[in-house]
Amino acid sequence: MRKNKAFQKVTAIFLSAALLMATLTACGSEAEVSETTSETVTEEVAEEVTEEVTEEAVVEETGAYYSADQSVEEIVLDAAAKGQVGNWGLGNEYEVQALLAKYGQPTTYLSQAFDMDGFDDDSILLASAMTYNELGLVKNSYEGAYGYGDAVSYIDMNDEGVAMLEDNLFTTKEFAEANPNTVKAFIYASMKGWEYACANPEEAAEIVFNYGSSVSAEHQAYMAAEVKKLVETDTTGATVTEYGKMDDAALQQTLDLAKQYIALSDSVAAEALSGLTLDDIRATSYWEEAMSSEGVFEGLEKTDVSIQLKWLPQAQFMGYYVALEKGFYEEVGLTVNIVSGGGDIGETTAVYTGQVDFGVTWVSNLIAANAGGMGLIEVAQVYQRSGLVLTYKLNQ
Amino acid sequence: MKKLRDKEKLTSILYPVIFGVVFCILWQTEVLHLLIGADTFTLPVPTRIIGILIDNFAVIMGHVKATLTVALIGLVAGSIFGYFLAIIATLFPKWGVGGLTIASAFNAIPIIAIAPILNNLTKDVSKDPNTRSMVAKILVVMICCTVSMSINAFRGFTEVKPFSEDLLKSYAASKKTIFMKLRIPNSLPYVFIALRISVPGSVIAALVSEYFAEFIIGVGRMIRENIVLAQYASAWAYISVACVIGISMYILLLAAEGILLKGRK
Repeated sequence: MRKNKAFQKVTAIFLSAALLMATLTACGSEAEVSETTSETVTEEVAEEVTEEVTEEAVVEETGAYYSADQSVEEIVLDAAAKGQVGNWGLGNEYEVQALLAKYGQPTTYLSQAFDMDGFDDDSILLASAMTYNELGLVKNSYEGAYGYGDAVSYIDMNDEGVAMLEDNLFTTKEFAEANPNTVKAFIYASMKGWEYACANPEEAAEIVFNYGSSVSAEHQAYMAAEVKKLVETDTTGATVTEYGKMDDAALQQTLDLAKQYIALSDSVAAEALSGLTLDDIRATSYWEEAMSSEGVFEGLEKTDVSIQLKWLPQAQFMGYYVALEKGFYEEVGLTVNIVSGGGDIGETTAVYTGQVDFGVTWVSNLIAANAGGMGLIEVAQVYQRSGLVLTYKLNQ
Repeated sequence: MKKLRDKEKLTSILYPVIFGVVFCILWQTEVLHLLIGADTFTLPVPTRIIGILIDNFAVIMGHVKATLTVALIGLVAGSIFGYFLAIIATLFPKWGVGGLTIASAFNAIPIIAIAPILNNLTKDVSKDPNTRSMVAKILVVMICCTVSMSINAFRGFTEVKPFSEDLLKSYAASKKTIFMKLRIPNSLPYVFIALRISVPGSVIAALVSEYFAEFIIGVGRMIRENIVLAQYASAWAYISVACVIGISMYILLLAAEGILLKGRK
């Protein structure tokens, strides 16, 4: 009798779970139907039919994706018309918007998750990717990657003239003015770290991996090799030998595009944004004096400093990890704490509120923060060209 | 006696209002900032926030409409579904209780966990990203609202006064009659208990699911965008809009409850 009851209970639980699932899915499709009124249903069906017909015709001619010899304009126009251009948003979207505007398209885009599943399942045709991260995940075939190999190609923002500078090194104006020697020492040691990391990317990748990596060792190595290119090549493709140099032309282009595409609902901030000049966002004197020095810094105002990264520990920030591991910070008399970011952590806010002394952010994010009144200042520009690309699949 | 009660009523409204006004004065005069160690950048003064609300009224209303649509459709669909589940559980009590236990397990799944999953599951629903995002968001709200309704309504159906049930049985009333005349009316107050949880819950679920949606729209998404871009004044404007949505839906619910359950207490 007891056994029987237990059996009944178990079957009951299973049955109700199945029922719950079934009704949940049924309600899902119901909710969808309820959004379109009966009138539009017929219209939509008609539309869908015509859409299918034209699409099939296109598919027969060229395949579902793009061919290698198609122009950037054709690809952008097609993906924009289908509404399948993706970006993460949250301040990463301005270059994509500038590219869309360049080809006369509306600047709307789909919100892309921090993985490439949307690109993989074709809901995004033209997906945003960083050369050193997502592009590698799409192309390579190690664990966690998608293994597309040569079946994908990409549009480079530098080639399209819509490049905006990314990873820099910044602090607050206040901190820089109060601690000039500390800032110079920190720049000097960090750039030494970047120089070493770019000369030995494999070793740098390993160092970062040992500091608590968010990705696999293979991907870390790929990332280090790609980051090296961004640090040592400028937007025109010329080689840069001075690490952390602030190129006014590239910064001005970043500022101009930022003014055009950063939309602020706060009228005070919007007005401040339109009035920003290069001198409001960067100070070259610290970097110049640090790089022309012999590496000896007297009278450090603060010896214990911290730096907030923009993202999780990965080779994107290898210069700082190398400087720490190789003792470059110790050599100049600094004790450095590297604080990793990730998710929605606001590196600009963390530096502004004084939780950390330095930060790594994209120049556009620093511009937006200063428009809001933060008074941040860039003291070195580590990435000399844009690492953002729009990747697409090729017809096979 | 009546006078005393009126006085009580008056003070119960007056004190919170006085507190609110004093709070706003402290906030505007930046005394509050001194007290909690904040600055006017991360916590802008009310006049600045109100200024942003006025400047962007039309845009904000567009986002409010999107959020409200998700919250309301999800709330209604989820609650009806939950009520329906409770009816089934009451009709088949042997496994109904077990089923509801499982349903309440659904309630324990955090919204941030199901939102991205439902986003992926609904990719094939529509070609239009706005529509399929809407479906994903509504499903999240539905799951959140279904559980509280099914559990509370089930209690309403089953926890009837024993003598009422005995009385009906002594009249040889059929199960159907007992259900229609006793159980359903008895469940009504419980429905409102469930809604008191679900209404604020539906707004929160809608706001959070917007964070992950494919199509960029809604009050929740704008809060995130502005905070990440360090635009705290704008973020606060959207946060206050979110508060107004939640509070006004709750007030509407209380008013509806007052009318529908008049004289029952």
